[in-house]
Amino acid sequence: MDIVLGIQVEDSVIIATSKAFTRGISVLKTTDDKTRVLNDHNLMAFTGESGDTVQFAELMQANIQLHGMREQVDLRPKAIASFVRGQLAKSLRSRKPFQVNVLLAGFDETTNLPNLSMIDYLGTRVDLPYAAHGYAAFYTMSLLDHHYRSNMSVDDGLRILKMCSKELSTRMPIDFKGLYVKVVDANGIREVDFE
Amino acid sequence: MVGKDCVAIASDLRLGSQSLGVSNNFEKVFNFGHVFLGLTGLASDVTTLSETFRFKTNMYKMREDRLIEPETFANLVSSTLYEKRFGPYFVGPIVAGINSKTEKPFICGFDLIGCIDFAKDFIVAGTASDQLYGMCESVYEPNLEPEDLFETISQALLNAADRDALSGWGAVVYVITKDKIVKRYLKSRQD
Amino acid sequence: MSGYDKVEYALEAVKRGTCAVGVKGKEVVVLGCEKRTTLKLQDPRITPSKINKVDNHVLLAFAGLNADARILIDKARVEAQSHKLTVEDPVTIEYLTKYVAGVQQRFTQSGGVRPFGIATLIAGFDENDNTPRLYLTEPSGIYSAWKANSIGKSSKTVREFLEKNYSKYEEEGTELSDEETIKLTIKSLLEVVQTGAKNIEIAVMKPNRVIKYLDNDEIAKVVEEIEAEKAAEAEKKKPKH
Repeated sequence: MDIVLGIQVEDSVIIATSKAFTRGISVLKTTDDKTRVLNDHNLMAFTGESGDTVQFAELMQANIQLHGMREQVDLRPKAIASFVRGQLAKSLRSRKPFQVNVLLAGFDETTNLPNLSMIDYLGTRVDLPYAAHGYAAFYTMSLLDHHYRSNMSVDDGLRILKMCSKELSTRMPIDFKGLYVKVVDANGIREVDFE
Repeated sequence: MVGKDCVAIASDLRLGSQSLGVSNNFEKVFNFGHVFLGLTGLASDVTTLSETFRFKTNMYKMREDRLIEPETFANLVSSTLYEKRFGPYFVGPIVAGINSKTEKPFICGFDLIGCIDFAKDFIVAGTASDQLYGMCESVYEPNLEPEDLFETISQALLNAADRDALSGWGAVVYVITKDKIVKRYLKSRQD
Repeated sequence: MSGYDKVEYALEAVKRGTCAVGVKGKEVVVLGCEKRTTLKLQDPRITPSKINKVDNHVLLAFAGLNADARILIDKARVEAQSHKLTVEDPVTIEYLTKYVAGVQQRFTQSGGVRPFGIATLIAGFDENDNTPRLYLTEPSGIYSAWKANSIGKSSKTVREFLEKNYSKYEEEGTELSDEETIKLTIKSLLEVVQTGAKNIEIAVMKPNRVIKYLDNDEIAKVVEEIEAEKAAEAEKKKPKH
């Protein structure tokens, strides 16, 4: 039931994740951040089996940091997406696969382009203008199909996100305790005030 | 599909998870030199295999100092799939191309563990394979010229996809002749 | 050949390696090293540096065999990431030093391997701590903490220079400011680097993962200052007529 949403706009990517940490019928935490910073210009948002998610995210984080350290060059969004996909595809056919779905929000400093990749636990990767995992997709994709324009500004993106958030609040059967919203652009990763 | 001195290969562009459509630009046809590979099935395996074959054909190119031929590539696909006999890739591959030496068109299909299905007319695969068989059986005729082959394969794909809830969302068609490859995107129903 | 002899050879390799210096200030630690003169056709931008980042808050400078250093640094980097992954906190400088020294020690003892022909200076700040840290490791696996030290070719000269000049501050009971630390580092290197600014590399570390590599112009400016001071000093000493 976790919400993970991503919208790519003209020069940045917006990522929104629900604050609720739920187990069974209980909300255990209302300030859960379902993202990890991979490097200066790449953010990973994740959902899936609790335990697996953070383990996997931090494993990817460590590997990508290590790459940056070794090569003195940070991995670019497409390279990260390819790497993470490869890891999940490998994990799928292991004894105990990671049950993690991710969104990768990145900004490529070489081409000056934003990038949003969606990867599921099977290792299915697609680069999309907007994406969501889980049930959130059912409620938000129609809104995004209708309102999305590829040359939108961050503010435009946040406006659509607000509509999505409102729709989710009314339709989702349990309170997801609001969203953490982050923006990835040329200047790096920043959290923005939402609500 | 095989025509007169030409072959065509086409796929839809949909990627979905069950009933939910996720992407309408997920191409399932890849080329390695002049050999074309269509891959349907589990999207993860489609990507993994296309990367594997890119690697293997590049290695082949360097070792042999020539491009891989369709027949050779078909056997490479077969053995690669059979390697995972007891934990297979969930895919339905199709190979199409024209042998650069003999100039003979070649197409074939496989099951998920690499059994080759040679055909002289057409090969189909994917969720709409039943519908595709129906279309191809009724629309196909031998020795079509490239432009007619394009029309035939496009109509077969489009109309089959419309009868399948999991297929569609645009299509891509390649018409391959001895010295020319034409790639066209087809607009189709987006519902 | 006994393991002991092999360590002797490794020590010899260190002595032949280009010089590296580390100096701690009040809230800063500076690493400096002599750059091997680049050959005419060598591309200085892509030739590996002797000062390496192990993690965002740790730098490592070495003297000795470049190829050995690469392996050791990589092991250190993997350990830094692994440590962070398992216990969340980044490595402390002391922990990393112990790890590096531990690896070096292991390669003196087991069969079929030879010791790492390098000495390292490991510098940085622990998380949420403004205390500068500076450690030295040797091929034998010894490690030690320092206020200032040097390794590699002519390291003895440099160390003696540092001992003499660092004590000035200690006698006064003051600690070195950032500028003084940088200056002392460069000054000590100039004792052994004849070619001046263009063959010196300087990295300045401040608390909270702030790392700055000085560019050639910045180093040249400090070198000029030092030379001006030296000239003034010499002028004073000149016997008056």
